[in-house]
Amino acid sequence: MATLRQRYSYMVWMREFELACLEGVATREIHGELHTAIGQEAIGAGMAGFLRADDAMCSTHRNHLHAIAKGVDMRKMLAEIFERESGLCGGFGGHMHLMDSSLKFSATGIVGAGMPVAAGHAYASRLRGSDSVAVAVVGDGAVNTGAFHEAMNIAGVLKLPLVVVVENNEWAISVPFSAASATETIAERAQMWAAQGMRVDGNDVEAVASAFGEAVAQARRGEGPTIIEAMCYRFRGHFEGDADTYRTEQEKEDRRSVDPLAITRKKVLDSQLATQAELEAEESSIAREVKKMLGEVRLDPKPSSEMAHQHVFVGGE
Amino acid sequence: MARNLNLSQCIAESLKLEMERDDSVVVLGEDVGKQGGVFGATRGLQKSFGATRVLDTPISETAITGMGVGLAMEGYRPILEIMFVDFMGVCLDQIYNAIAKNHYMSGGKVRMPIVIKTAGGCIGSGAQHSQCLWGTFAHLPGLKVVAPSNPFDAKGLMAAAIVSDDPVVFIEHKKLLLTRAEDFPFGSDVPQERYEIPIGKASVVLEGSDLTIATLSGTVLSSYAAAKRLEKEGISAELIDLRSVVPLDVETVSASVAKTGKLLVVDEDYLSFGLSAELVTRVLESGIEMKKFGRHAVPDVPIPGAVTLEEAVVPGEESIFVAAQRLVRSE
Repeated sequence: MATLRQRYSYMVWMREFELACLEGVATREIHGELHTAIGQEAIGAGMAGFLRADDAMCSTHRNHLHAIAKGVDMRKMLAEIFERESGLCGGFGGHMHLMDSSLKFSATGIVGAGMPVAAGHAYASRLRGSDSVAVAVVGDGAVNTGAFHEAMNIAGVLKLPLVVVVENNEWAISVPFSAASATETIAERAQMWAAQGMRVDGNDVEAVASAFGEAVAQARRGEGPTIIEAMCYRFRGHFEGDADTYRTEQEKEDRRSVDPLAITRKKVLDSQLATQAELEAEESSIAREVKKMLGEVRLDPKPSSEMAHQHVFVGGE
Repeated sequence: MARNLNLSQCIAESLKLEMERDDSVVVLGEDVGKQGGVFGATRGLQKSFGATRVLDTPISETAITGMGVGLAMEGYRPILEIMFVDFMGVCLDQIYNAIAKNHYMSGGKVRMPIVIKTAGGCIGSGAQHSQCLWGTFAHLPGLKVVAPSNPFDAKGLMAAAIVSDDPVVFIEHKKLLLTRAEDFPFGSDVPQERYEIPIGKASVVLEGSDLTIATLSGTVLSSYAAAKRLEKEGISAELIDLRSVVPLDVETVSASVAKTGKLLVVDEDYLSFGLSAELVTRVLESGIEMKKFGRHAVPDVPIPGAVTLEEAVVPGEESIFVAAQRLVRSE
């Protein structure tokens, strides 16, 4: 299990990774609506270190931090996001569809659609008689889809080893959670699926880690599904290019002042797990590493046009 | 001699043989376990392989298909039963956004060896329980679409669908499912042992020289009856069972049209933007000289409830006979 000190490093990597992606949007190296999770790093980093290669994770359109937490190769991720042949999916997936079959990581651009897929991974664990678990990470928008309900119900009735992490950033694009959910919290819904439900402060990396670690352990022991509702705030628009006029400037300013990186950094310093100088050195070293990675990715070739017809079917066609 | 089986039992037999030889084959669906499927196409499987490998699910088509995706990613070969093809609308997202695309989106690294088995076709059940919809699935890249017309093909094509590394939508015709093998004029002899029929290869059911009738699933049987009547009228029809819409065996159809010069596509699915236009176009594109062609399909209306109305819009023996006669005799 990762220490608080290590989790802070994860968070810095995650923030720097997202900043590198932002650069690609500005330079038009990345197309389509890129979704970053800046401000939600404590959730990604809180999940790191608990999952094995044979555990599965199904993520969303806002998937970069989850992939990093699962251990997916960042160089290959960045290459996929920057539309290179060297990318995780050879450029066929794109930023919303990162997949790494060796680590059982996948993402979907369809809100809620990862839930039943994760239930399928969890059912595979049952079929194998293994103690592997499946994790679905979704946003608060996904909890109102039929897929969410169907997957939770089947996970509940079959007591599947499924851990659902809901990143409740309070906004499903422009619609606030309060206007979309019949219940005040998502956690309280868990009981209707005979699942455990809890709400945690998603800015508190230790709170997330503790809840997630416990939920994974319970799932491994065959004690059924858990929903962890992690409260957070997305610092940027829904996607890069979103005018984001549905949130007031005042609200955004206030909420961004509560930065999970700053909170965790202070904790690390207060607990004397590192000195100011050590953290500064590490932060600039990670920033340099990511910059170097981006420089390399930019030299990688883009997939050539004749490749577009590959992979529709396994045997060609 | 035909064994005393109906078509759904031939499918159940095929599933059993595949499950015996490959532990990764699992079955999920509504009423597939204890009940053995509402059409009996999974009967006996839960007894043989247990309630975990043959799972009775809640009525949750999105969960069934989504779980199939997760299972496939884990190396399983899930067979997902969606009771009626009409219900696929409930879970189309998983089918066309995940099952059909994951292989492509992963750059060829993730495989989706999934069979979605379902029942289609008109049996007087009205607009929400009578569709075929193979044209819909064929339109979406990444899915193979199979619809057998007889017991022999049903068993062999199902085996091929299960061993396929690509996802297959396998549409069983409701009318045929409960028809006894001995009542089929073709494909009635079903060996007990396992065999495969390659997906994408059409079969010439009847040889003829005046026109080619190309169709699949339930209308092969009605076209067969129509062809026998045409023969008495002095018209020799070549009847081709396409067996699958994807891949579409244009080669076999073109070779036949090269001989007959005329093509009638019979389709129990909707007319527009479907199999009939696609097949005619591809035969034209193949450069074969085709003097005439006709399309006989459901004329873009939902399937009506009353059988008198259903018969007015769904191709059947009589309407196929008339359409074929008109195509051959009109100049």
